[in-house]
Amino acid sequence: MPPDSSTPKVEARSPSDATPEALSVANISTLIGRVAKQDRAAFAKLYKATAPKLLGVVLRILKERSWADDVIQEAYLKVWQRASLFDAGKASPITWLVSIARNKAIDELRKHPAGRTSTDDAMDERVARQPTTQDQMEDQQEVSKLNQCIDQLAKERQDMVRLAYLSGWSREELARQYQQPVNTMKTWLRRALQDIKGCLES
Amino acid sequence: MSEHDDLDMQIAEFVLGTLPADERRALNARRLLDPAVDARVQQWEERLAGMADDVAPVQPGPELFAEIERVLDQQAAQSTQPDNTASVVTLRRQLNLWRWSTALASAAALVLVAVLTLQPASAPESFVAVFQHDDQQPAFLLTVDLQNRQLNIRPVTAEPQPGKSYQLWIKSDELGPNPQSVGVLGDQMQLDKGALKQYDPALLREATFGISVEPPGGSPTGQPTGPAIHGYLYPAGDGPSHGI
Repeated sequence: MPPDSSTPKVEARSPSDATPEALSVANISTLIGRVAKQDRAAFAKLYKATAPKLLGVVLRILKERSWADDVIQEAYLKVWQRASLFDAGKASPITWLVSIARNKAIDELRKHPAGRTSTDDAMDERVARQPTTQDQMEDQQEVSKLNQCIDQLAKERQDMVRLAYLSGWSREELARQYQQPVNTMKTWLRRALQDIKGCLES
Repeated sequence: MSEHDDLDMQIAEFVLGTLPADERRALNARRLLDPAVDARVQQWEERLAGMADDVAPVQPGPELFAEIERVLDQQAAQSTQPDNTASVVTLRRQLNLWRWSTALASAAALVLVAVLTLQPASAPESFVAVFQHDDQQPAFLLTVDLQNRQLNIRPVTAEPQPGKSYQLWIKSDELGPNPQSVGVLGDQMQLDKGALKQYDPALLREATFGISVEPPGGSPTGQPTGPAIHGYLYPAGDGPSHGI
């Protein structure tokens, strides 16, 4: 955990003076609730506060800026359509938003596997696990716990999980990288996920 | 490994992103149909979300939001016009999950249903449902004329499946907790136009419809054995901004 991760989260600012990055979970939830009522001003605020995060995630998977832009566009149109389905009791608002964009990005990548020019650079990114302090919208404790759990996996499996999640690597790509049969990769990934789940619940 | 565990791992891989494309598509559809599956997807999304915290934000270009707003404006304008296939998209958010009360067989192919208003305000008694195989392709079009209680169903991209029958269902609180069969589509993918005659127009207006893929001749249990998505029929002219 980074030394300054105990910085209190910014809460209860009024929307007018909140900088986008500082919007709290509660504020994002409120904005989604307003978007569900077709509030375009709230939609613009939500976009401003969250699009850089979503674009970062999507761009890391797709690598191509214009492709990522298209996915972001579709993701926010989906957010507009599905805002009423958001349930703050089931999902954190940022996770819900990121998942819509990430899901779309991976759908795209599976549809057009050749659209991404290279997977080599993703290898370089895999260890770029700098705990962030800039993102105050997430629960740092959860992050830390997840990273602790991933760190308990064998090194190769840590990398596999992160390459898959962060860079969108498929089973086949991982199998090639680690010179294993695809089915072995499936088994390893599932064991890793099972271990993560068990560790998070412990 | 039990089926439950296997599904959980399938969902976990779906969220991780490594689930193969065909299984991924099926799960994408299934989570729309099955709130329990959707809840588990969300649980896995929460579990793994922390990994995305490591990703540095990237500022989008100023034109991107302008483009999104342009599309929304366009959709809003179109939604007030008749004969508007684009509202399939905008109406998707109005879908409710059809919580089939029966246990679902997973083998049945998915047929999703969206319902949209296609008629101008001058024809308030006519409704159209679009039944979709996936997010993009309409599988069936169902037109319901409430006044005469006539239905017309025609396949768009749906094709006869060897050894399978398509079955149309109606669900309404007044009819009890379970969907009722409207009829099994014939070899020409047709259904008796009067199949809805027994239902009151007011009931039809509130009812939801679904299509499932069943063994030849229809479901052996009297209940759908395949999952479906449903939508309410919307009064004509209300447009997609009219919420449920």
